[in-house]
Amino acid sequence: MGVVILLVMAAGVAAMLTRKLPTAFALVILAVVIAFVAGAPLTGENSVIDTVLQEGAPALAATMIAIVLGSWLGKLLEETGVAATLVRKIVEFGGDRPVVVALGVLAVSALVGTVTGSAPAAMLAGLIGIPAMIAVGIPKVTAAGTILMGIAVGIPFELPLWQFFSTALELPVPTVRGFMVKLFPFALVAAVLYVFVESRRRGVEHTWSLKSVADKPRSPSRRQRLGDAPWYALLTPAVPLILALGFELAIIPSLLAGVLYALVTTTRPREMNKRLLRTLYGGFEVAAPPIALFIAIGILLAAVKLPGAVEALEPLVKAVSPQNAVLFVGVFTLLVPLCLYRGPLNVFGLGAGIAGVLISAGIYPAAVVLGMATSYNQVFGVADPTSTQTVWAAQYAGVSPQQVMVRTLPYVWAVALGGLCVAAATYL
Amino acid sequence: MNRALAATADPATHQATDDLDLAVRLLAGTPTHEGRDPALLRRWAETADAFGAALEPGPCRARIVERDDGLEELLLARYTSRPATVEIYVDTVDRAEKLIDELGWRSWYPVGSVRGAALAHETAHEHFHHKETRTALKEAIGHTALRLGRLRVLAHVAGAEEIAAHAYARTVCGLGRSPLLLTAALAAAVGAPRREN
Repeated sequence: MGVVILLVMAAGVAAMLTRKLPTAFALVILAVVIAFVAGAPLTGENSVIDTVLQEGAPALAATMIAIVLGSWLGKLLEETGVAATLVRKIVEFGGDRPVVVALGVLAVSALVGTVTGSAPAAMLAGLIGIPAMIAVGIPKVTAAGTILMGIAVGIPFELPLWQFFSTALELPVPTVRGFMVKLFPFALVAAVLYVFVESRRRGVEHTWSLKSVADKPRSPSRRQRLGDAPWYALLTPAVPLILALGFELAIIPSLLAGVLYALVTTTRPREMNKRLLRTLYGGFEVAAPPIALFIAIGILLAAVKLPGAVEALEPLVKAVSPQNAVLFVGVFTLLVPLCLYRGPLNVFGLGAGIAGVLISAGIYPAAVVLGMATSYNQVFGVADPTSTQTVWAAQYAGVSPQQVMVRTLPYVWAVALGGLCVAAATYL
Repeated sequence: MNRALAATADPATHQATDDLDLAVRLLAGTPTHEGRDPALLRRWAETADAFGAALEPGPCRARIVERDDGLEELLLARYTSRPATVEIYVDTVDRAEKLIDELGWRSWYPVGSVRGAALAHETAHEHFHHKETRTALKEAIGHTALRLGRLRVLAHVAGAEEIAAHAYARTVCGLGRSPLLLTAALAAAVGAPRREN
């Protein structure tokens, strides 16, 4: 039975890899098939309809709310010009030293990455950050990679992600926070190294481009007409982080405080209602794809946690999962590429199901699985040529996602190795 | 064809545009200048142009490489600092030379001047690779990033070096009009989309 479930999972991965099915749809179909193969009844206790679909779909509800709030805050940062102002100031201060500009944009991306993830985060930092870097001579691949590496620095402090891992792996938020704090230095060092090493290797480049002269100045957007955001509003991305990390406030109130701070520091009282609603609705649009994915992941997790599925998979997974710490680090570091191209270790795909199996079958403690999942997420978030942020950043810079993958993979692979070492040393 | 392309469909329409207007357009399209006062951009463009025109002419010390995928990449030339190399996109240069004949602009851009301008343009970027030249341009433009009492930090103006490089090429090659005019006409002729980033 276990072999059949693994074959079903492999078929699901193939469907996602070949893009025959969107990931969210593939995961739901996978969940239902796994539940039937595991011998779950149609209705009742541990059933396909009542357990997998009904209880699984809202299982990650807290994460979905956090995603909406993060996207709302992201929209506010965009509309109030906080992110754009930060990038503009960085270029003005350090424009004649491209490495300084890249480090500055890296810092902005990291701040943005703590608030929201995926393509919206890349857009928030990259819309101005990427062309600004290119304008000061940073090569295109380096520029795109800087945005992604920067977002990856922020990922360990992305509050919606804490909520996701806490709910999905059934771990308390302080445990998730504790591991993320340990993962952060690896992400930071790798990102700073990326900027220095790639700048040194590639130097600067300037092009005489046929696209350099616009036909006529574009009419300024609403944000551009408003000018720069005030300096104290630039602290907005740090507000939720300080509250959640420094004061150990819960995730949703921390994000709400960020929304409130952005609003009062940038908006006249009579315009507040309008702006709040406009950005909230805009935030829902941004949050729709990850929410769809989290509904599907919740359903998949419910399926792989069914007693029949656990019973069938436990002996198989146990046989191939190393228990020795050194072997654990070695094997799972070598398996890093399996989280690319929507592979089976992608945390926001089948990887979530595998994590669920590893925990519910008692093969690894949940904290070790957290270490694995977050380490793989650092790779996926930067180098996966199919992830939306990588595709967006690469295409906006005018290069291919594969070029960005090749350039960034060594750095994020090292981050994953660091994370796996910490997980093995601390929890295994 | 989108509106942006339609607006540039006739390369000759750029002929009536002042060189400085084209420089202002370049600045306006450069990130970080969104929503800036056009008069300010014009002043910066004028200063950068004068700075580039006054740069000491010098030989191109970088290695010169020829490529033939410029029309695909929409590039005429590229300078990379490691190793110091100037890439000339010969297919774009050839297309530019043909276009000059088609538009009757030969008095402004003599035969072979496009390649010369491309080399000069990238040589100017090599000049800006040196801190003193960059600082001198910042001082000439005089845009303030921060002022604390008597302390004043001058700001980098993105795009100013590009305008200066075009002005340098125009002066060194003795062109009748800015290479920016040729760039705009060439973009229209080959159907280059408007700058997106």
